[in-house]
Amino acid sequence: MSEESAAEKLKEYSPGEEPELDRGPLEQWAANMISNPERAYKSMFYTATVFFLVTTLFPFYWLLMVALTQRGSLQNIIFLPGSFDPTLLAEGEVTMGINFFAFVEVFTTVPFHRYIFNSFVIAAVTTVIVIVVASLAGYVFGRLQFRFKGPLMLLVLIVSFFPPAAFFIPLNQLFNTPVDVMRPILADGTLYNTPYAMLIPFSALFMPLSIFILTTFYSQIPDGLEDAARVEGTTRIGALFRVIAPLSAPGVATAGVLTFIAVYNEYFFSSLMTDGREHNWAPLVEGILRYQGQHEVLFNLMAAASIAGVIPVALLVVVAQEKIVSGLTSGALKE
Amino acid sequence: MATDRSNEGSNALRRLLQRPVNRMETLSEAAYAYILLIPAFILLAIVAFYPLIATFRMSLLADETAGADPFGEFVGIQNYIDVFTGDTRLTREFVDVGLSGSFPFLELGTPFLRQALFVTLAFAILSVIFETLIGFGQALVLDKEFRGRRWVRVAIILPWAIPVAIQGMLFYLIFQPTVGFGSDLMQWLGIFGSSPLASSRDGFIIVLVADIWKTAAFMALLILAGLQSVDRSLYDVARVSGASPWQRFKMITLPIVMPALLVAMLFRTLDAMRVYGVIDSTVGCSTVPSLTCLVVDGLFGGTRIYATAATVAFMTAVIIGLFVIVYLWRFRETEGGFA
Repeated sequence: MSEESAAEKLKEYSPGEEPELDRGPLEQWAANMISNPERAYKSMFYTATVFFLVTTLFPFYWLLMVALTQRGSLQNIIFLPGSFDPTLLAEGEVTMGINFFAFVEVFTTVPFHRYIFNSFVIAAVTTVIVIVVASLAGYVFGRLQFRFKGPLMLLVLIVSFFPPAAFFIPLNQLFNTPVDVMRPILADGTLYNTPYAMLIPFSALFMPLSIFILTTFYSQIPDGLEDAARVEGTTRIGALFRVIAPLSAPGVATAGVLTFIAVYNEYFFSSLMTDGREHNWAPLVEGILRYQGQHEVLFNLMAAASIAGVIPVALLVVVAQEKIVSGLTSGALKE
Repeated sequence: MATDRSNEGSNALRRLLQRPVNRMETLSEAAYAYILLIPAFILLAIVAFYPLIATFRMSLLADETAGADPFGEFVGIQNYIDVFTGDTRLTREFVDVGLSGSFPFLELGTPFLRQALFVTLAFAILSVIFETLIGFGQALVLDKEFRGRRWVRVAIILPWAIPVAIQGMLFYLIFQPTVGFGSDLMQWLGIFGSSPLASSRDGFIIVLVADIWKTAAFMALLILAGLQSVDRSLYDVARVSGASPWQRFKMITLPIVMPALLVAMLFRTLDAMRVYGVIDSTVGCSTVPSLTCLVVDGLFGGTRIYATAATVAFMTAVIIGLFVIVYLWRFRETEGGFA
């Protein structure tokens, strides 16, 4: 490595070279190694990375081991499935007691894919509503000056002071009241057992967080950029969605990811606003709870189901984080 | 021809849109602000403000456990007084503190971790401190350029993506003495007693660990978003001026991240003060009672004390409100802050 860093050193000090341009990660690392005090920070960085990876991933690994354990042998699982026994190989069992079948069983005993789909749709629609509505509010709170701004922000925040249970009884009555106008769209005129019974409360209850995130990020965009857009002929709304929001991409993407995941995983309303059947838009949580049998809780199936349920979110995070990274360039536009 | 007609159509549409758009352009700043706030406040009015008013009305009525209607006559703030003095049929004390002659002049009737208020406060403070520190560390790691960063990022965010029901099951199983390894480990370290899932103190630690594991990622994501709006050239300027990494962190990173950090801490505190799911799905509300536990217990516990439950919900909100004042005061001081 010393040869490489020496070469790097030469390269760095050769005349006419701009060292800050276009460095690959390895070159960056090599360059940083030259300046000595950085070395300590580097090793600290790698230690921290490994520590975080182990602590976050190990429970998932353990969950996978629980999922692969055969029913009835859930004991002392640490690194291997509880029913794992290499001696079974001699008896002609190729799986050695590992229950791969759990991941098939998850979808055959309960239509789990439908529950995932329901949650995914509800979370996606809620996220879109929240981001659009919270963008308007975040723009107002972050960039405009008007009377009652403080009290109105406090009013938004106060919603988050109350336990979700505080909203439940009145909302439940409201959603179970038949509304004649809705009869053509909804079976019996009530919102119970429809996705709206979850969309509407989630949109409102998760909105304060997004409003505050977007307020913070929108307020940091320099006024000059918005003025320039207005001079170029954009409308007021256009300036928000074409200039302010794209420049705050890290904030918008973060608010979106946080909202999506929070709704996807919501526990309290999700389990009360439907009767738990998949064709009535019951979400993921209800699906997982269906593995609690009459006589025993099917821990291995619950574990397998949760791994299956986390995969769509993981994929979303991979896609969304591209968006977050692309927002990196926006930093260059700041004054 | 076809393009002409579509142009005509879009022109008509444009004319139709022109008027409100034009009016929007000429509105005063305040009027424009109020118009943009309408959608948010309509949603909040239906889902939040209306139910809260209804719930507040409930909290002023008496519990009626026998009749058809679960609410009795108007009793004013009697429910609030009863909850404070412990004169209710809730399964756990809200708070049980008496005065004594000797230092520190306050005496706890029931042990600290059996009282909802103290459990909730201890949980909120400890979890927010740990989650902020760990989340900041994770965000700093994710902000660096390195190979495989995208996968490290996914790995760190993954716990936040797991449903509460599963998180609860996971930690219940890990600390379940026969299935998992957690209790053996903690007993070997001398932290846990013999039956961790039944002890308030050990149960509290389990809930705390489970919550930190899951929600540190929430802090990390928000802080990361703040870090990414830092102009990279500032670091180059600082480096040229000879600032050490610690100075760069203190003088550049921290001030710019501060608004996002405060929003993250504020909402984490709000969530932690309302903790319920992770308790219910691991050690249970009777072992570690939180304020929300009391509310849910009153509503769904089968004892029909709806009015008392509504009272506890409002008292929770008031306590959270006191906490929030501290944050709002800090917000005022940050650059680009609001209010």
